[in-house]
Amino acid sequence: MLRNMLRSMGVTLHRSMILQIAVLAGFWAVGEATVRLTHLPLPGGIVGMVVVLTLLGTGHIRPAVVRRGAGWLLAEMLLFFVPAVMAILDHGELMGLVGLKIAAVILAGTVMVMGGTALTVDLCYRWRMRASAPEAGHAA
Amino acid sequence: MLRDPLFAALFWSAVTIGCYAAARLVARRWRSWWTSPLLLTPVAVGIVALSLHTGYADYIRGTHWLVLMMGPATVAFAIPIYEQRALIRRQWPVLLVGVLVGSTLAMSTAFLLADLLGLSHTLQLSLMPRSTSTPFAMSVSSDIGGLPDLTAVFVIVTGICGAALGELVMKLMPLRSSLARGALFGMGAHGAGVARAHQIGGEEGSIAGLVMVLAGLFNVLMAPVVAALMA
Repeated sequence: MLRNMLRSMGVTLHRSMILQIAVLAGFWAVGEATVRLTHLPLPGGIVGMVVVLTLLGTGHIRPAVVRRGAGWLLAEMLLFFVPAVMAILDHGELMGLVGLKIAAVILAGTVMVMGGTALTVDLCYRWRMRASAPEAGHAA
Repeated sequence: MLRDPLFAALFWSAVTIGCYAAARLVARRWRSWWTSPLLLTPVAVGIVALSLHTGYADYIRGTHWLVLMMGPATVAFAIPIYEQRALIRRQWPVLLVGVLVGSTLAMSTAFLLADLLGLSHTLQLSLMPRSTSTPFAMSVSSDIGGLPDLTAVFVIVTGICGAALGELVMKLMPLRSSLARGALFGMGAHGAGVARAHQIGGEEGSIAGLVMVLAGLFNVLMAPVVAALMA
C-alpha cells in the first residue's frame, strides 16, 4: 500500500513540471539554510546544486525526476536577471559619458575574456589529445 | 493604487513578466543581438517605471521573488552537468586551466581598461567581478569594495554583450572542440552565455554551465586576495 502510494507520487512527479520546480526550490532552500548555519562564503544555490549532483552521482535520484523542471528554469533564466538590472533607475549618472566608458570597458573586456579563454581551452585540448595518443582521438 | 504594497507587487511582477513574454516573441520573430530579451525587457520595464515615477527600491520590493528564482535555477544546472559527466571527467584539467586564465583575464582587463579610461576607483572595483553570474559577482563586489547593485547591472550588460558577440568571436577563431566553444560562453557571458550555448549544442551548453559555476567559485575564493591587492 505504502509502496503503491510512493510509486504513484513518483509518476505524478515525473509528469508535473511545477512539482519538479518545487523540488529544485526545496534543494535551494536546503543550500540556503546550510550557508546560513555554517557561514560558508557561497551562494545557497551552488550548495543546493552540489547536493543534487551528489544525489545523482550516488544514484539516490534519477535525472528524469527533475529534468523538465530544470529545463524550464534554465530556459527562462533571463527573466530572473531582469529585476536586478533595474538598479540602473537609481544611477542616472551612468547615462552620459561615464556610461559609454563603462560600456567600452565591458565590451572590450568581454571580447578579450572570450577569445583568451576559448583559445587557451582549445590549445590545451589539442595538446592533451596529441599527448594521449590516437585511441582517445574523438573525445569532444 | 501603487501605494498598496500587494497591488504594487502584483503590478510590477505582471509588467516584468509581460514585457519578458513580449520580448521573447520579438526575439523569436527577429533574431538579432538587439532583440535579446535581456536588453528589450529592462528597456520596456524602465519606460513604464520612469513614466510612473517609480524608483528602484519600490520596483524591487515587488519583484524580488523573481531574483530569488535564480536560486532554484542554479540548482537546475546540476542536470546538464550530470548528463555530461563523462566528458567532464575526461577533460576537467583543460576546463580548470580555462577558468583560471579566463577569470584572471576578466579581472585584469576590467582593472586596466577602467584605469585607462579614467573611471573612478569604485566603478573600477564594481566592474571587476562582472564576468561571473550575479550571486557570485555581488558577493565578490562587496568583498573587494565595489557597489554590489552596480555590479549586478554590469553583470547583465556583460551577459548581453557576451551572448551577442560570442558567435562572432567563435567564428573568428579556429575552435575545434565543443569544450572551447562552451568555455567561451560560460566564462565570457555567465548565465546569458549558457543559455546561448545551449542553443548551439547540448555539450556546449553543459560545458558553459560548468565553466560558469567554476568561475564563480574561483572568484569567490580569490576575492580576499584581490581585495588585498586593491587596498
